[in-house]
Amino acid sequence: MQSRILRPTLAIYTAAFLLFLYGPMIVLAILSFQSSDGGPQFPIRDWSIYWYQHLLGLTETSRVSQLPVGDSLLRSILLAFMTTVVSTILGVMSAEAFRTKFKGSGPAFYLIILGMMVPGVLVGLGMALLSNTLGIGRAWWGTSFVLHVVYTYPFAFLVMLAIFNRFDRSVEEASLSLGVSPAQTFRRVTFPIIFPGVLSAMLFSFTLSYDEFSRTLFTIGSQLTLPLAIYGTFSVEIYPNIFAFGVLTTLFSFTLLVIYGLLMKRFTAKAARFKGQEEN
Amino acid sequence: MLHDLELISVGKTYPDGTVAVSDFDLKVEKGEFVAFLGPSGCGKSTTLRMIAGFEDITNGEVMMMGHNMTHVPPEKRPTSMIFQNYALFPHMNVRENVAFGLDVKGMPKAERDRKVDRILDMFNLDPVANRKADKLSGGQRQRIALARGLVVEPEILLLDEPLGALDANLRRIIQNELKLLQRELGITFIFVTHAQSEALGLSDRVVVMSNGVVEQISPPQQLYRRPQTPFVADFIGSNTLIEGKPLGAGAPGFGRLDSPVGRIEGVGQGNETLAVIPAEAFRIVPQNTDGEITLSGTLIERKLVGAVGHLNVRLADAREISVEVSADRPEVRALALGASVTLGVDPNSVTLVHA
Ligand SMILES: Nc1ncnc2c1ncn2[C@@H]1O[C@H](COP(=O)(O)OP(=O)(O)OP(=O)(O)O)[C@@H](O)[C@H]1O
Ligand SMILES: [Mg+2]
Repeated sequence: MQSRILRPTLAIYTAAFLLFLYGPMIVLAILSFQSSDGGPQFPIRDWSIYWYQHLLGLTETSRVSQLPVGDSLLRSILLAFMTTVVSTILGVMSAEAFRTKFKGSGPAFYLIILGMMVPGVLVGLGMALLSNTLGIGRAWWGTSFVLHVVYTYPFAFLVMLAIFNRFDRSVEEASLSLGVSPAQTFRRVTFPIIFPGVLSAMLFSFTLSYDEFSRTLFTIGSQLTLPLAIYGTFSVEIYPNIFAFGVLTTLFSFTLLVIYGLLMKRFTAKAARFKGQEEN
Repeated sequence: MLHDLELISVGKTYPDGTVAVSDFDLKVEKGEFVAFLGPSGCGKSTTLRMIAGFEDITNGEVMMMGHNMTHVPPEKRPTSMIFQNYALFPHMNVRENVAFGLDVKGMPKAERDRKVDRILDMFNLDPVANRKADKLSGGQRQRIALARGLVVEPEILLLDEPLGALDANLRRIIQNELKLLQRELGITFIFVTHAQSEALGLSDRVVVMSNGVVEQISPPQQLYRRPQTPFVADFIGSNTLIEGKPLGAGAPGFGRLDSPVGRIEGVGQGNETLAVIPAEAFRIVPQNTDGEITLSGTLIERKLVGAVGHLNVRLADAREISVEVSADRPEVRALALGASVTLGVDPNSVTLVHA
């Protein structure tokens, strides 16, 4: 009875959800193949890859200046990479610490989580003021980097906390009781087992940092990250080259996801490798 | 004389205030098989984990071969622990699991391989040596855990309900293997269980615990024959407990008790207030048999299982007791429900304890 109404409603809801999720991306992808004299809207005058060439500086001189993304792209990737490394290490270490209750673990937990809850604009502004007062120069590798870590570290921490929650401590105890030191136990027993969680924490940190906007806006100084550089071009006029760029970054994100998926699959396949043998 | 393991009034209070163990004293000799037996939550695992070094020791001292180990971390103790859930390394195959301890210690490959091969062979694990550990049967995993724990040649092997997850059949098989193995290797075993048959069948001595304290430490037969506390009398075997007023000593080594169901004599000092009578010590006798304790009552239930007759008898003060008698005796066969019976007990098989 109930499902006669519920099912179609849910189906429509899901369809609408997917449409709104992917609709803009699809439109963007289509418009990126606009011809050189076309604008950033329909109709498509002619299909071409002109704007992709334009993006990469492969076209003759043009009325539109090249999108200034080269340096900022590198910067963003580097920043995201640094953030990933630091946040993941911090996340793993602090989640490990939280496995045993310690004095003040409650407040410490909420202090860490606060980093992802506080509005980015506020934190960004605060950091800008602080660096001004202290006379510290703003830079993507300094002030922005710190805020990226503050922002992404709670995510890495939560992911690892969930992983450790399901972790069977007796496996570590078994290792210790074989005479293996705590450090070796972590390296050879704990880490391999929590590795899928570490991968997820890394993915979170990277993607969150890669397109972080508000915190970066106030703390970046003169050398911009990618989201800011793109935002800067909006103040002039929009051309389809920005769509072409959007398509390329989306592909980049997908590549990351695919790598993540492959690593995960390889890991879980390793664990399941001998199952098949037994069933034969 | 140096003991392999010595606990000197060891106690454990958890941070939340739970007193899990107190004043635990135990001396274990090299090669002894000791079982910790007791109901759930009595502190068996806690004690074992203190010996292994996984739990801080709140009071007292743990010595191993004369060395104080109280504050030594687990990896530096000559112990190896076997867990109820086996705790195998899921990312390693059977061989890697077993070789792990030696591998990390940096033992030369040739020597390591020799030891691992030998122990895999000993536990019949070579056919599955290259399989992932978590894809094997319970019995196989149990053997892997044992092989992994033994290959590093510990002085003391600690086992926390290692057979708990196995079915009854496998349990029996592995019990036998364990006993043989322990004799062969001469390693000290400390074995935690809440299964009586396991503790009594396997060990040289049993430590009976309740509520964090040691009730009695004795060889299995002694636990049956001479319980020292009401708890042990109630927990081990099936005993009838009858309370009474002490009447002082009787014959040398015997004490007497004035109970609601008559005078009872048993092994003791004469100042005890509780008589413990094993169910199988009862016989059916004519009234007023000399040299025996006699209890009269009414038969209210009779079950004959093979050669054993289980009788429920209501005594003069309305208490019901269960007794076991030999089923093929004519006087047992002749009994009808509701008939009055007289039960006789040899004072030698009665133990007096302090309530
Ligand atoms: N980490 C802990 N914190 C607080 N109390 C604990 C902790 N671990 C155990 N206890 C308590 O200590 C007591 C003894 O526990 P323990 O695990 O030693 O019992 P056990 O005899 O092994 O029982 P079982 O047969 O069920 O395994 C119990 O009351 C238990 O609730
Ligand atoms: Mg236990």
